[in-house]
Amino acid sequence: MGLWPKGNILLDVLDRILDRLEEWIICVLIGAATCITFVAVVHRYGASNAVVFATWASAHGLTWLSDAADWLYVSLTSINLSWAQELATYMFVWMAKFGAALGVRTGIHVGVDVFVNRLSPEARKPVIMFALACGALFTGIIGTLGAVYVYELDADQVSQELEWPSWIIYLCIPLGSYLMCFRFLQVMWRYQQSGYVPHQAHGIEYQGQQAPVAEPAQ
Amino acid sequence: MTTQTEALARPRNGTITAMLIVAIPIVLALICVLARFDIIELSQSVRAALLFALLLALMATGMPISIALGLSVLTYLFILSSVDPKMVGLKLFTSIDRFEIMAIPFFILAGNFLTSGGVARRMIDFATSMIGHWYGGLGLAGVVACALFAAISGSSVATVVGIGSIILPAIVQNGYPPRFGAGVIATSGALGILFPPSINLVIFAVATSGMQPRGPDGAIVDSASVGQLFIAGLVPGLMLATMLGMTTYYRAWRNDYPRMKRASWGECLRAFRDGFWGLFLIILVLGGIYSGLFTPTEAAAMAAVYAFFISVFVYKELKLADVPAVLLKASSMSAMILYIITNAAVFSWLLTSEQIPQSMAEWMTAQGFGTVAFLLVTNIVLLAAGNFMDPAAIVLIMAPILFPMAARLGVHPVHLGILMAVNMEVGLCHPPVGLNLYVASGITKMGITELTVAVLPWLGTMLVFLVMVTYIPEISLWLPRVLGMLY
Repeated sequence: MGLWPKGNILLDVLDRILDRLEEWIICVLIGAATCITFVAVVHRYGASNAVVFATWASAHGLTWLSDAADWLYVSLTSINLSWAQELATYMFVWMAKFGAALGVRTGIHVGVDVFVNRLSPEARKPVIMFALACGALFTGIIGTLGAVYVYELDADQVSQELEWPSWIIYLCIPLGSYLMCFRFLQVMWRYQQSGYVPHQAHGIEYQGQQAPVAEPAQ
Repeated sequence: MTTQTEALARPRNGTITAMLIVAIPIVLALICVLARFDIIELSQSVRAALLFALLLALMATGMPISIALGLSVLTYLFILSSVDPKMVGLKLFTSIDRFEIMAIPFFILAGNFLTSGGVARRMIDFATSMIGHWYGGLGLAGVVACALFAAISGSSVATVVGIGSIILPAIVQNGYPPRFGAGVIATSGALGILFPPSINLVIFAVATSGMQPRGPDGAIVDSASVGQLFIAGLVPGLMLATMLGMTTYYRAWRNDYPRMKRASWGECLRAFRDGFWGLFLIILVLGGIYSGLFTPTEAAAMAAVYAFFISVFVYKELKLADVPAVLLKASSMSAMILYIITNAAVFSWLLTSEQIPQSMAEWMTAQGFGTVAFLLVTNIVLLAAGNFMDPAAIVLIMAPILFPMAARLGVHPVHLGILMAVNMEVGLCHPPVGLNLYVASGITKMGITELTVAVLPWLGTMLVFLVMVTYIPEISLWLPRVLGMLY
């Protein structure tokens, strides 16, 4: 389903690149954040257990074992992973912002559709257009508020553990919101063109249970 | 934008209704604008009512709940003008940059790996080998397998998909009526949001955290932690599983449904050994949280990595090439929930700074509302909301409103959390938005109307259980108290 008038290959390709980029960023963020948290937990648990083990070994006269455990403890604690939790959290926030934009494209955002579904396809159209326009309006406002906030932020301000500039971290608010706004406009345009609204619930596409919203209106 | 029943889907021309749906929020917004320019005067309580009316009107258009929440907050701030709207943008970031909330994406990821990783089938085999020879054998095994899977996945949809898609065809093949199987699985799957780890309980903890309402004696009531809620959910979860199992057994015995061949000890042992890797996850998560080894978020991260590991390397049912697809599905699911959380956080921040729940609590005590009446009204409101909204959204919107009132009446926050979870379970199992029904309908190819009839016996059991949980707080509070997690 092309967003642009047929034949404009360049815009079509750009659109597809944006789609893939979006998916790729999200996958990397969630995967990396999970791995980082896992490693940090194992690291902390390993370090604290190495001490216990070293004490136990020296109490039982196993000097070499105690030395080995001590070495493990020292080498583990020399790696400081206190930043891991913060990095994982920020990665998830970024993932959430871009994922929300992806969700607009795939129609995963839940809403109350029992009333809309009772309407005939023709009567439904203005309501869906209004709902989508509200989405674009809200995300547009938030994007602008976020951009102003980031712009006014002190350039020297850094995050607690990582000491990265705050404005880079907060940049996900305007970026994510504007992308989401763009996605809402895109869905509106497509709905206008083809009468198709993406729709799914909890990532499950029910066979034979597709909501009528998802079917092309005549 | 979730679901609809066949009856509701019948196209009906409703141009006037459509116009009304669009016009109401616009009119409400215009009233706000008039108030902004002092053309009309609004009292504090009218403003609060306007906020809720606008939220409901926006939601009725079918827009994402998150957007409806955010827009009504923005409109309200516009009237107030004393709060800088710029704060909203920041709030959308700071409301989720907390490590505790990350338990939600981790558990969703773990659930997605488990659903596609062959864990569900092994749990079913294990449950069948243990109790398959009883009346309603496969149905009972379904209840047990749902409970086991719920104890590792944290979501009810994952449970219905994971267990249902394997056991429902088997139930039909073995000569049970399809209605029986669909009824059992659609309701047992709802155990997912009560049994720890549960994403819904995390959401409840997130929605109420940081609030400090005052109890009946004026002392500050602390909100419930994720760990407390997880331990508290264990006894009600086991009780509900037992009750659903009893209903299954009774119906199978009455109608003399077929029973499975008794499995030999060797077969039981083999099934256990096969399913051990999945079952170990229950010990890892719950044991880890209770012993203090992990925080709930860390346990969730461990669960996600562990689930990835056993799906790909031990059971080998998930190819490495399919992992990005699982990641993408889990992340768009989590992003959706996190987006509602951010907007609901802004909404509840506005409610709190306007003292709305507190004044509702004051009003309630002034009217002489007792605990019994409050709990009854809470149940009715939550069950009604379950007719329209997704469980996560209901908890996020209602918990910050209900918590101060409950605290004022001396209802324990943990009890409230469990009560809300059971209410959400009921909502998942009846139309028009009962997600479990739609999932079960997708698997069995049965219509929603037929499924609604099919789940009735179990839904009735659930309602009885809801009354029990509501009026016997000890069901939820006993275990955490015994373990010294609560006072």
